[in-house]
Amino acid sequence: MTDKKEYRGSIHQRQKDLMLTWYDQLDQAANTGNPPTVSMMISGNCVELLEGFGAVPLYPEVNALQLAIRHQSLDPILAAEDLGYAADNCAYVKADIGCILKGITPTGGKLPTPTLILCNFVGCNTYLKWFEHLAKLQKAPLYVIDVPFMRADEPSRSDLDYVVKQLQETVTKLEQLIGRRFDYDRFRQAVECSSRSEELWSQIKHLARRTPSPFDAYFDAITLMGPLYVYRAKPEGVEFFEAALAELQAKVDAGQGVYEKEHFRLVMEGPPPYPYFRTFRDMFAKWQACAVASTYSTVGGLWEFGFRHDPDNPFESVARHMIEQNVTNRNFLQRYEQIRRYVEDWNADGLIIHFVKSCRLFSAGQGDMRDYFTKKLGIPTLYIESDLEDPRYFAEAQTKNRIDAFFEALEHSKATASLRGSA
Amino acid sequence: MALLERTFDICNELSFPSVRDWKGAHPGAKAIAYFPVYAPVELIHAAGMLPVGLSGAGDRLDIQHADARFGSFICSIVKTTLEMGLTGHLEPFDGFLFSTICDSARNLCFVMKRNFPGMYVDFLHLPHNPSSPAATQFLAEEYRRILTELERLGGSNVADEALCHSITLYNHNRALIRELYRLRTQHPEQVPTSELYQLIRVGNFLPVEEHTAQLESALVQFRARSTKQRDSIRIVVEGSFCEQPPLTLIRLIEDAGCYIVDDDFTIGQNWFESDVPTQGDPLLALATSYLDRSVYSSVRHDFRKPRWDGLVEKVRRSKADAVLFLIAKFCEPAYFDYVPYKQELERAGIPHLQLEFEEKSFTFDRLRTEIETFVESLVFD
Amino acid sequence: MRIAAGVDVGSTQTKAVVMSDNGGLKILARALVDTGANVQRAAERAFDSGCQQAGLHASDIGFVVGTGYGRYKIAFGNTQMTEITCHAKGASFLCPSTRTVIDMGGQDSKAISVGPSGEVLDFVMNDKCAAGTGRFLANSAEVMGIGLDEVGPLSLKAKHPVKIATVCTVFVESDILSYLAQGKTAEDILGGVHVAIAKRTLSLARRLNIEPEITMTGGVARNVGMVRALEEVIGRKMQVSPDAQFIGAVGAALFALEKLDQSFESGVWRGDHAISGGH
Repeated sequence: MTDKKEYRGSIHQRQKDLMLTWYDQLDQAANTGNPPTVSMMISGNCVELLEGFGAVPLYPEVNALQLAIRHQSLDPILAAEDLGYAADNCAYVKADIGCILKGITPTGGKLPTPTLILCNFVGCNTYLKWFEHLAKLQKAPLYVIDVPFMRADEPSRSDLDYVVKQLQETVTKLEQLIGRRFDYDRFRQAVECSSRSEELWSQIKHLARRTPSPFDAYFDAITLMGPLYVYRAKPEGVEFFEAALAELQAKVDAGQGVYEKEHFRLVMEGPPPYPYFRTFRDMFAKWQACAVASTYSTVGGLWEFGFRHDPDNPFESVARHMIEQNVTNRNFLQRYEQIRRYVEDWNADGLIIHFVKSCRLFSAGQGDMRDYFTKKLGIPTLYIESDLEDPRYFAEAQTKNRIDAFFEALEHSKATASLRGSA
Repeated sequence: MALLERTFDICNELSFPSVRDWKGAHPGAKAIAYFPVYAPVELIHAAGMLPVGLSGAGDRLDIQHADARFGSFICSIVKTTLEMGLTGHLEPFDGFLFSTICDSARNLCFVMKRNFPGMYVDFLHLPHNPSSPAATQFLAEEYRRILTELERLGGSNVADEALCHSITLYNHNRALIRELYRLRTQHPEQVPTSELYQLIRVGNFLPVEEHTAQLESALVQFRARSTKQRDSIRIVVEGSFCEQPPLTLIRLIEDAGCYIVDDDFTIGQNWFESDVPTQGDPLLALATSYLDRSVYSSVRHDFRKPRWDGLVEKVRRSKADAVLFLIAKFCEPAYFDYVPYKQELERAGIPHLQLEFEEKSFTFDRLRTEIETFVESLVFD
Repeated sequence: MRIAAGVDVGSTQTKAVVMSDNGGLKILARALVDTGANVQRAAERAFDSGCQQAGLHASDIGFVVGTGYGRYKIAFGNTQMTEITCHAKGASFLCPSTRTVIDMGGQDSKAISVGPSGEVLDFVMNDKCAAGTGRFLANSAEVMGIGLDEVGPLSLKAKHPVKIATVCTVFVESDILSYLAQGKTAEDILGGVHVAIAKRTLSLARRLNIEPEITMTGGVARNVGMVRALEEVIGRKMQVSPDAQFIGAVGAALFALEKLDQSFESGVWRGDHAISGGH
């Protein structure tokens, strides 16, 4: 019998509590003006900087995805389209702006107008426009941290200096807006907390190299990502990841995987179809296929290959993280390399490329990615398409069909390989 | 106009005849292609190379290979550019330069890098935070980085004098373009856009010296005309153009009763509001010009001054009656900016129409009807 | 003697094939019905028709594999496999040197890389829109007032095939009307339509390594004009079985026979009634 279990230990509840606490703080900020809040993008976010002001991050992307998961994204998208946004514009943006237009929020609580709209531009050009439009709509101040794109193997000195200077300008700006000095020590401590959270998160990611993996590194990782972006730089975050690691380690020790038997190990590329998160997951659960690595879970930061924030060089390591250590600011070929490493080192059977209409950063050129992995590396690859936020772009039967065909073929090749092996 | 006889072929022939001619006349010299919108062509020119602005393959190339690499919902120019590469049409070029205009184009850069491993393929990070004093040094250093690569490719160093000389040449070229645009705004009956467009765009393929000579000649010829003014409406065409509209479409707009008094079709060739300084460090001069003296564009972000204010100013300055948004299918930056542009136009009481086009269209019945209806609605107001 | 059946419920037509394995594989019957609105009934009718043709009762059929979009609605089926897997299997059986399958169905088209025993190595699909599918041809035929059976032969007579700009099934209608108004011949227009579809299909197939022999399957394979257009665009002759339409059902029937063959590892079978275990 197909086991549709997923990771639902106590840490799952703790994650929910943490996120609700965060939304409560935002509600409080909306009502009282305190604590100060800063809108940021998830990718390559510099949440550590906010700790120096006791400011709370506001993540429009999280609002968008929360709406989609709760099947509430269509109305705000339509409201944004009424305003003039196109069918082909990123649905995350439309959902977020639509929410503001309609005055709705994912949890029903209030969301504040941020003290500062801080656009950490890490590769995604859509971010720039999203935040410009938010600044116009919400009449809040805007600052753009322009992070140089990874166009060489390493960030240059010039790249690092540019970002560090902008981070310092951000600090000055926030001091003016909040009316209080930046607490450098708190900032350093925050960077230290981040480095500890990251170490734990990295170990969690590496647990997925075991057979069976104790969690799904796509669906479960996405669920665990919330605390990574909101609480990474706080002691609560460190505690959370300590508990998560312990719980997952215990599963590893007990030989427990996500399913009764782990039949397939996958690397997943691309964001999930949030409006159909559960349905999509079930399509893989049917085949007892577990993701052992994913690129989407590294949008906020890529920590499994050794990078840690450095409290002795707080500004520079924050800059380095923003430039180099998140999937969105890394170039397309670096993503191929990241995936290749996952397939090899995490021992995966195949790659699933999920093209999402909204996100050209992820999706433009994934056909070439497919070409590379199938023709050059001979790795079984499945290409499927939908959208990450707009519920109108999901063809359930066709998607299921492609997934089934992929696993039928993979199963056959595994069966014949094992026959040959045992002959 | 005799100048126009060859422009169409030069701009549209997939074999890049003018580039081949130039390389034939300069054995061993390199040609560097750049993807729209803006590129620091002075760097390429100073390195003794020919800068060529790519703008897709229009309707001249069936996409047979590139759509396997780039799926749906991606603009045509990204695909036709790759298609040209995969079918050998980009053979005359020794390098490609891309920049931070949008996500699809950025991914294209790296897909091309993988598929043409012997080529010099580079990505220029143009700053999106010009408000930061640090941006100037960053951009100057980024230009230095590109220049170093070009020096390596060309096998010789580029002196500051050479850069200043190139800047002077391009300043002159841009000044002529500005002058032609001014003439057209004042006397659109003398300067049909279908002609002006070709004359400017051909500059993407020719050596700047040759193009400047042509523009000078064109200016004289346009000024000498004494065409009668028609009862046309004056429009600004706004489209964040990487992908270029078919020439037939531009003619159609004019035939439908419009004078295009300003546009951003070839904005990359006239990117600066005033001359780039030729005193001092040339890379610094180019950097400060980019940061502080660039025209507004959907591919550039400067929150010190919103682009939508720039559009309203442009409409007022050119005494236009309306704005026609011509947006390439699947062009994300243009579609995003349409919303605040539209809001501000509405606030300013400026009529506007939004239409979608594709470079590869060759039938235009629907577009014609929409434009004619729009013109009628303005004329009979 | 083992007897089994495959039922392929497609968007427009449902096919059933009955096969036997009596020291050699043999097709006993082929049945074809329109799918219509009731998928379950279509599957039953096709299956019954197949049994009748073979002179058998339903109880004689040892195993039934369902395939096609409607495969989950086949209540009497023992298990389901995707039509991708079944097309590969069926094509390989009917044209043994098959290494690439190009399937053009009523509503989707696909290309499959096939291994020596008919196993799927890789596949690509266009199932998002009707571009390059039978629907495109049907629409074009309707706009021109020509029978669907005639479009292929007519297209072969094109002297100067027109250029078709769009692969959108809806928008091609206005292109066709425009050409008719310009006085272009039906042959030239259809020639253009077939070339456009062929190019689109090849563009899809190129995502795989196209290896010879290439076998065309699906309903559209009966269109001689489409076969020729594809061959010209690919630059090679293709194999087309007279059973092109039934290839999915044949593949399903072959899998059903394998299931009856006890020596086959049972761990391969999947579906909602997964019979797992084994390896």
